[in-house]
Amino acid sequence: MLTIKNLHAEVEDKKILKGINLTVNAGEVHAIMGPNGSGKSSLASVLAGRENYHVTEGEVLFDGMNLLDMAPEIRAREGLFLAFQYPIEIPGVSNINFLKTALTEIRTYKGLAPLDAKEFLRLTKEKQKLVEFDAKLVNRSLNEGFSGGEKKRNEILQLAMLEPRLAILDETDSGLDIDALRIVSKGVNKLRSEKNAFVMITHYQRLLDYIVPDFVHVLYDGRIVKSGTKELALELEEKGYDWLKEQVDEKQAEEKQLGEMQLGEKEAIQ
Amino acid sequence: MIKDLTIPLYGELENGFDTLIAAAGRAKEGNEVLKGRKTAFHTFTERGFPTIKNEDWKYTNITRFLKDDFAIQTPPANPSTGLNAYVHPEPVDHALVAGAGIESLDCYQLTLVNGNLLSADGASHRLPEGIRLITIAEAVQDPGLAACFGHSEESEKYHFTALNAALFSNGLFIEVKAGFSLDKPLHIIHVFTSGYNLLVQPRHRIVVNRNASVTIIESVVGSVPEAKLFVNSLTEIVLEADSKMDHYLVEMAGVNSRLVQHTMVSQKKNSVYNNYTFCLQRSDLLRNELHVLLNEEHTETNLYGLYLASGNQLVDNHTFVEHRKPNCYSNELYKGVLSEQSSGVFNGKIHVYKDAQKTNAFQQNNNLLMGRKATVDSKPQLEIYADDVKCSHGSTVGQFSDEALFYLRARGIGEETAKGLLINAFAFDVTEKIKIPELEAHVNKLISGRIF
Amino acid sequence: MNDNELIDNIANKEYEFGFVTDIETDIAPIGLNEDTIRFISAKKKEPEWLLSWRLKGYQSFLRQELPKWQNFELPAIDFQQISYYAAPRNKKKYNSLDEVDPELLATFEKLGISLNEQKVLAGVAVDVVFDSVSVATSYKEKLNELGIIFCSFGDAVQEHPELVKKYLGSVVPHSDNIFAALNASVFSDGSFVYIPKGVRCPMELSTYFRINAENTGQFERTLIIADEGSYVSYLEGCTAPMRDENQLHAAVVELVALGNAEIKYSTVQNWYPGNKDGVGGIYNFVTKRGICKGDHAKISWTQVETGSAITWKYPSVILQGDYSTGEFYSVAVTRNKQIADTGTKMHHIGRHTKSRIISKGISAGHGNNSYRGLVQMGPKAEEARNFTQCDSLLIGDKCGAHTFPYIESKNNTATIEHEATTSKIGEDQIFYLNQRGIDSEKAVALIVNGYAREVLNQLPMEFAVEAQKLLSITLEGSVG
Repeated sequence: MLTIKNLHAEVEDKKILKGINLTVNAGEVHAIMGPNGSGKSSLASVLAGRENYHVTEGEVLFDGMNLLDMAPEIRAREGLFLAFQYPIEIPGVSNINFLKTALTEIRTYKGLAPLDAKEFLRLTKEKQKLVEFDAKLVNRSLNEGFSGGEKKRNEILQLAMLEPRLAILDETDSGLDIDALRIVSKGVNKLRSEKNAFVMITHYQRLLDYIVPDFVHVLYDGRIVKSGTKELALELEEKGYDWLKEQVDEKQAEEKQLGEMQLGEKEAIQ
Repeated sequence: MIKDLTIPLYGELENGFDTLIAAAGRAKEGNEVLKGRKTAFHTFTERGFPTIKNEDWKYTNITRFLKDDFAIQTPPANPSTGLNAYVHPEPVDHALVAGAGIESLDCYQLTLVNGNLLSADGASHRLPEGIRLITIAEAVQDPGLAACFGHSEESEKYHFTALNAALFSNGLFIEVKAGFSLDKPLHIIHVFTSGYNLLVQPRHRIVVNRNASVTIIESVVGSVPEAKLFVNSLTEIVLEADSKMDHYLVEMAGVNSRLVQHTMVSQKKNSVYNNYTFCLQRSDLLRNELHVLLNEEHTETNLYGLYLASGNQLVDNHTFVEHRKPNCYSNELYKGVLSEQSSGVFNGKIHVYKDAQKTNAFQQNNNLLMGRKATVDSKPQLEIYADDVKCSHGSTVGQFSDEALFYLRARGIGEETAKGLLINAFAFDVTEKIKIPELEAHVNKLISGRIF
Repeated sequence: MNDNELIDNIANKEYEFGFVTDIETDIAPIGLNEDTIRFISAKKKEPEWLLSWRLKGYQSFLRQELPKWQNFELPAIDFQQISYYAAPRNKKKYNSLDEVDPELLATFEKLGISLNEQKVLAGVAVDVVFDSVSVATSYKEKLNELGIIFCSFGDAVQEHPELVKKYLGSVVPHSDNIFAALNASVFSDGSFVYIPKGVRCPMELSTYFRINAENTGQFERTLIIADEGSYVSYLEGCTAPMRDENQLHAAVVELVALGNAEIKYSTVQNWYPGNKDGVGGIYNFVTKRGICKGDHAKISWTQVETGSAITWKYPSVILQGDYSTGEFYSVAVTRNKQIADTGTKMHHIGRHTKSRIISKGISAGHGNNSYRGLVQMGPKAEEARNFTQCDSLLIGDKCGAHTFPYIESKNNTATIEHEATTSKIGEDQIFYLNQRGIDSEKAVALIVNGYAREVLNQLPMEFAVEAQKLLSITLEGSVG
């Protein structure tokens, strides 16, 4: 479904992704973990098409199509969903109008007729129930005045409504108390199927107790430095990230030294 | 008299007051009215039209909108006589009037064509007893009202109001009797239309007596496909003690029209004036001048405005709130969206007089610059001579938040639609203030129509 | 007499004085005409190009009228009643401090100014061995080592004519406004600073260290050039009241910051404000403007204005270089019948230019305080940003506070935010302090200093302390 090959990206001339390789197939749940500043959220932003992120190398295929060529809304209509780490408040845009517009645009793109008002409301209600999010949406602006937990649950509601094939959850667990985390996870688990896939970005192992991943990857300094199964997450929980960092840094230092030596040899030859 | 050869109207005005008045069929008006006109004419000729050297016209070069050869409006060819003098006899483009109609709104509705009441429109007769509504042409013949149209410093205060006070043609005189509350909104549709270049100068006067209340919606529409039309209107509003007026303006005039509209409001004790101005016109120029005088204590004033412009349009809103007495409250919110190469001007002035202690005056102006070549000039001003006051103003110029736009796009909403949503959201702060749901829907529809 | 008549008069009277250019004479006859200018120029042994520039300034002066847009009454200024080359010639020279107005001395005392300094400030004839001479000299050597030029304008004309010629009038042209034109034609002297490439000036430069070298008079001209990558902080001011019967003070300050250079210009202005009834006092009509010529340049104006009968000035920045920054921090206090009409103009021309304006006005007594400012985003000012905050504080019910911002944007990627508030000094704040044993006067001083904190923080340390004291003293007796 998603194939990332040697992805390099930068923000304001700062390199943040330095060669990511990752394949996600339908029905899989991947977790991407890593210390702060390792590039986890940047990866999510690049995949969703945030403007100030510039891809300098590599490619991303989404069902064989070049994802990087698509405008953010086309990616969304093709079925890529990003649950934002910090969902933005947009005063004056009502939640319900927003949801309806988004759903209509995606349906139109797929050649489906827009839902009529009644149908739409029924669907919203059903999905709200599914993700246990009973906030009154009609008269409230998008995310405005929502608590941190409500914002995250609103993201999951949108996920349920828009039915993407690939959902990227960017630190959806951050800022959630244990009850909210349980509700959000329950929602996600209900939405899991053979046809869709999830990429969960998280700093802590905690979320993975509720949503059990098929694969775990560790991101450090813009690269995936280790991949494994859910046991890797447990190992990280136990040992922290430092042992991995050290391993990587050592390796890099060796490489650098090697490079310098080679350079030195070259110079010597010349 | 100031001469400026680039403004042909001066040639017209040079014919002199008497000739103009005779041509307009006004020679029979009462002495007081004629004298008022004459003084105002003198004042205007002394001043001439404003130029960008006038501080109030710094950002709006009116000369370029006056350079066409305008004829000065004369009465309709076949005027009725008597009290219904200068009623517009001919039918008008029904699509225009229908377009101004507000869906499913229960209201009293009447139509003016270039300031003249449409004769086919019998609405005035259906108004309840508590309202007196006559044309200005009738009003100036009423000795009891002559003083309202005689010489007044206030009416002559500005370049254009002086010209209007000198040569105003027709309009409406509306009086709400003491203690009366009009049960439904009164919707006045102003149609401006002409087959040749024309200067139209309507004048209106609205008096809301003690303890009375009224909601007036004014819609301005127009069609001048083959000529240029210049409208210079003057509306004077008097709110007596304990009265209330909700005043909505929906500007929808079409291309080739230029409008300079002055509204002067004078408020007495405990009165409330709410003004909602929606500039959704296609006209080349729209200049609104809203001047509110708080002449007695404990008044409340709310001014809400929204302006959208595109193409080469220039939209200019000037507001001036004079806090002359203590314990008055005024609040203002104007928001603008400028697309393509349009220009927006906002000038909001609050003047707090020495005696006006316990004044609360607030003002906010926000602008979205959408077009690569769009410009905006904002000039909020506070002049404060009392100390026990709370006053503030703010002004911003900016764009949408990229973050908000990205969020919407990441949910599959196309860029244009997303921008539309964000413009609506931006306008929402103003549109949500509308108290009539049917009108709110009407305005929202017009905004959407204006964006796409 | 209206302006036209005034100008006619000037033109007609040009030779009426039977003026003789006597270089030996130190005082030019009262009045302004071309000969006065020739006299000044000759007196200062100026090169021909400078004289011709002055004369052009004079022509600009004749062409211009006094402004009419201000919201206060501009007093009639008789340009023919001013002595243009004699500096404060009418000022009394005292033989000892005993002869000086005790009220003035009391103020000095409060400011903690040393006796010797007091003598200079009050115009008492002082000995050549005055402390600051040696101080100034030692500074000068240190500056010389770094290649920094810091001298009087007159010296700069003689010693560095190429720099003066290149930059004089490049930021404030002689035709800029009537007072700038007047200054261009008759400026007596002033300061000149040049900081070479990459040099960070190690100390605050100040007119104060030069005050005894030459009396700069009321038409001084300052030119500061910061070459690429350099930095300088310049202090201007008179931190004590000056008795001065010459009413008009029309100075010009030009700042040029080249690429990556930074100029910080601080002013504490406390000219004589006139008495309680508004008699006397200085008309402080000053033109100050800087240009960020190169990329990443920065100019920062900080001012504390407590003196003068009328203060009328708008220290401005032309943000030409990409990524350049302009700042304006101001505290203006008016009391009695003082008027302050001040603010700034930020002209954003280059991409990613930034400006920040913080203005705090305090009005007491019958004082009137206006913020007048312009933020202009040019068509090429991509992603430019401005933030403006103007606050006005009113003490007493006879004063006025006004805000006249002009916001003009011609670029849709630029962002402007302007906020202004006006309010009365908090009675409950004063009461709270009273209740803790602080009298109302001190309470006001405390509150006002807190209110002005954001601006005072921009001043160099010693200056900030003086400015604080000055604020307190200025507001003495304004409550009660």
